[in-house]
Amino acid sequence: MDIRKVKKLIELLEESGIAELEITEGEESVRISRHGASQPLTQVVHTASPALAHAPAAPPTAPANGAATSPSAQSGAGRPAAAENVVTAPMVGTYYSAAAPGAKAFVEIGTEVKVGQTLCIIEAMKMMNQIESDKEGRVTAIMASNGDPVEFGQPLFVIE
Amino acid sequence: MAATTVVPRSGVRERLIGMLADGGWHSGEQLAGSLGVSRTAVWKALNGMRTMGMEIERLPRHGYRWRQYEPVGSRPGLELLDADAIRKGLGAPSRQQLRNLDVVLQANSTNQSLLQVEDLPAGRSDACFAEYQSAGRGRRGREWIAPFGGSLCLSVNRLFTETPRQLSALSLAAGVAVMRALGRFEVAGAGLKWPNDLLLLGRKLGGILTELRAEAGGPVYVVVGLGLNLQLGAAARQRIRDSVDGPVHAIEAVALSEVLAEAAHIRNVLAAALVDELIAMLNEYQKSGFHTFADEWRRADVLAAAPVRVLVGENTHSGIARGIDEEGALLLETPGRLLRFNSGEISLRKGDAR
Repeated sequence: MDIRKVKKLIELLEESGIAELEITEGEESVRISRHGASQPLTQVVHTASPALAHAPAAPPTAPANGAATSPSAQSGAGRPAAAENVVTAPMVGTYYSAAAPGAKAFVEIGTEVKVGQTLCIIEAMKMMNQIESDKEGRVTAIMASNGDPVEFGQPLFVIE
Repeated sequence: MAATTVVPRSGVRERLIGMLADGGWHSGEQLAGSLGVSRTAVWKALNGMRTMGMEIERLPRHGYRWRQYEPVGSRPGLELLDADAIRKGLGAPSRQQLRNLDVVLQANSTNQSLLQVEDLPAGRSDACFAEYQSAGRGRRGREWIAPFGGSLCLSVNRLFTETPRQLSALSLAAGVAVMRALGRFEVAGAGLKWPNDLLLLGRKLGGILTELRAEAGGPVYVVVGLGLNLQLGAAARQRIRDSVDGPVHAIEAVALSEVLAEAAHIRNVLAAALVDELIAMLNEYQKSGFHTFADEWRRADVLAAAPVRVLVGENTHSGIARGIDEEGALLLETPGRLLRFNSGEISLRKGDAR
């Protein structure tokens, strides 16, 4: 998993007051949790990936399949984990925040979105995939920037 | 298709276009008489045609002429698109699978029209043609310039109940479908440039834009859009040149009429061949993904083994183009490493003529 992504997730966790966050991308997953202290503890986990077997042991909650997101186990106090609020990339490609260069972004932090509302476009090989929100709520985090390459399952938005 | 701007078929403008399609001179008086309207109404309708990118010439004592393209070696006039004629030109399997076939004089973009369709059954397709697109879209919202009747602008849709393998290479497969359609007319010199520009004689003949709506884990609704230059007048060429916004796009336009002189007069037959091949491609893709298209794509690859530059976001990578992998991703050989790209813009390196 890209270290910048992990960094963004840590920042997200710090800002949100969420106790624990777990994201699965393909064969990798990361779980970040606060241990009472203000510094979050980061654990990068590679599941079912022999080439990366040097990674720390998988936590019991690590999902074995490649599901885009999975609600992490509830542990400890604090708000529920945010995994179900995270919108992930359904495909590999380039992330675009607006329909055209210079156009207004589809959503910004604080935008209230409805189910079916377009959040961004992911382009791969000239296929423009309009990513629609599958939940209603307020955009509280945007984890990709215009023009970023994104991976399958990469977290893009938090909608609460 | 609520957002499609449809010029009424019985309108003065529509009938006027039909009368001027022969490319000959018509006096204002004669036009007004045939249409049963005033000369002012004719004049207004002619101005309307100009806003749709048509070059309307006026000469004293001759009247008006719709100048469609460079006249050298080509017969004047063009065949307007006709839904029945297109349907008749389809092979039996496509004719059965085709649900709606719309031909409109003007649409914002045919992709946009079909993206709004909500009730397409699995295994069927709609096709939408526009003689003129007021907001034709190229990649990333770039304008796609196509004067009225000068190109074929079409979109075809499909609902995949199960996500096909390597879905993101669908645009490449669409390029193969266009090559197959052009092959029926023995067009020589056509090729594909990753991810899916259509080239002819090294210049840009057209492009493909695939758009999709997908729910997580649900069915995938795709719209494959195609713009193909059939004939380009001097004014249209100039507009295309003026719109070029960077070295990546500094590629001259070309029209099919340059190698297929009759292109403007067989537009319905060409349109049918394209719909036929696109529907066949969608069937094949649903069944086996990109797999069966990969080798055909490679044979049409105009940049294979060429020194190229790939622009991804802010980063540029230089190397030798090494075709595509089984998923349609571009392979670039750089010193010591083979890079793989799912998106990006590829251009020939300057000073490295092929």
